[in-house]
Amino acid sequence: MRFIEKPSESDFVRDKFSRMPDDIYLLHIMHNIGAIDSERALPVEEIARWASMEKQRVEENLNKLVEKGYATLRVDSEVKRYFVTIDGIRKVLSIYS
Amino acid sequence: MNICMFTWEYPPRIVGGISRHCEGLARELVKKGHTVHIVTLEFPGAPLYEERNGVKIHRVPIELGHPNFIIWTLLFNHFMEKRIAEISKNEKFDVIHAHDWLVAPVSISSKHYLGVPLVSTIHSTEVGRAQGLHTQDSFLIDGFEWWLTYESKRVIATSYAMKREIEEHFHLPSEKIDVIPNGIDVSKYEVNVEHEEVKKRFRINPDEKIILFVGRLVPQKGVEYLIMAAPKIFEQHPDSRIIIVGNGWIKDNLMSLASSTKYSNKITFLGFLDDRDLTELTLCSDVLVVPSIYEPFGIVALEGMAAGVPVVASNVGGLAEIIEHDRTGFLAHKEDPDSIAFGINKILSDPEYAHKLAQNAKRKVYETYSWEAVARRTIEVYRKAIGE
Repeated sequence: MRFIEKPSESDFVRDKFSRMPDDIYLLHIMHNIGAIDSERALPVEEIARWASMEKQRVEENLNKLVEKGYATLRVDSEVKRYFVTIDGIRKVLSIYS
Repeated sequence: MNICMFTWEYPPRIVGGISRHCEGLARELVKKGHTVHIVTLEFPGAPLYEERNGVKIHRVPIELGHPNFIIWTLLFNHFMEKRIAEISKNEKFDVIHAHDWLVAPVSISSKHYLGVPLVSTIHSTEVGRAQGLHTQDSFLIDGFEWWLTYESKRVIATSYAMKREIEEHFHLPSEKIDVIPNGIDVSKYEVNVEHEEVKKRFRINPDEKIILFVGRLVPQKGVEYLIMAAPKIFEQHPDSRIIIVGNGWIKDNLMSLASSTKYSNKITFLGFLDDRDLTELTLCSDVLVVPSIYEPFGIVALEGMAAGVPVVASNVGGLAEIIEHDRTGFLAHKEDPDSIAFGINKILSDPEYAHKLAQNAKRKVYETYSWEAVARRTIEVYRKAIGE
């Protein structure tokens, strides 16, 4: 068994996710829940639920992501569904490696 | 030998250096007559199974996701376990080779389930990447890394700096660790490129000198120090341009930093480039800069050296082992824009010095870092693990 020292409370404040802009945080959520291709694209409501974010804020950030080429959308029976592009996947994975 | 390699990235899924490392090693192992199965993650547009250069590539779909990164990692490890259970019905493996903590759970469970020795390559550590352990996730990742090295029969480090880090941080016995550097496909750079055409493609003036950075845009790569060095470079060399290739979560911050200098029009962010474009751009560059603050190996420096481009790199980790200062490259002080600018200016101002560095570096790469040598040494490690 290996024992490790517990980090102090102040250390947790330095979490990189807390320093991340909203749009990149959202991109990371979409990637991790599997919205990585057209078949698995998700509507705004579902993304908002997973991200615990208001629908309007999610929409604003999704527009930013689409503009930057990190996400794209398809319209299915008049419902907009979003997924992460290949560039978006690379952007997310850079956080982890 | 029948080898099963676990890695979370394999081309076309390219995140960092692990992807190219696994591809180069696997291809060479196959050339030497071994069978290699790669178990990796799905990627849009890539088939779930294919054989490329004789390497059997199994891409695992992630059937269930979760916003939390650690949970997501554990989930994809589970899906990899499902796949290896299927593959092992028809394959008897001699050794399992894990690349980094992200595949630790599946590698360790497969070792016990299949009863074959586990070898792991540690490409970097969380404590190094994050420059300390500051979050709960970081502590857990650090635990995974320790667990992987503990369960492995042999551990491979890609540099002596990495070996020291593993020994000290995980209290691993020195004799359990082998140092095998990354390799490089030198033939990739033995092509003639039309400099003018390549520069035109990337909207670079034909007479502009290229100062190239290639890598993930994350804090450990130290790109901000190159941007901070820009005024001192452009004052001396107004005919040059900084080209930043790659993507990452701090890209917007770096772009803002670049905009805050009066030379923002001379700093170009190109994003991710495919292999061909990157090779051609590298061959057209006048200097390659690797300003990392943490770099266990530094494969990008090796690529620049193989391409015959003089390299300015920070004096850290594996970079300090690859580059001999003033002979095969220029080693700048870590986190020091003045030192980086000095090295770049020296290379751009003195063609003879630049030529000497490039020629010496190219020779060193050809002699030391071929995939053939890496594969041969890796097989020796497998044999030690198997007990031959």
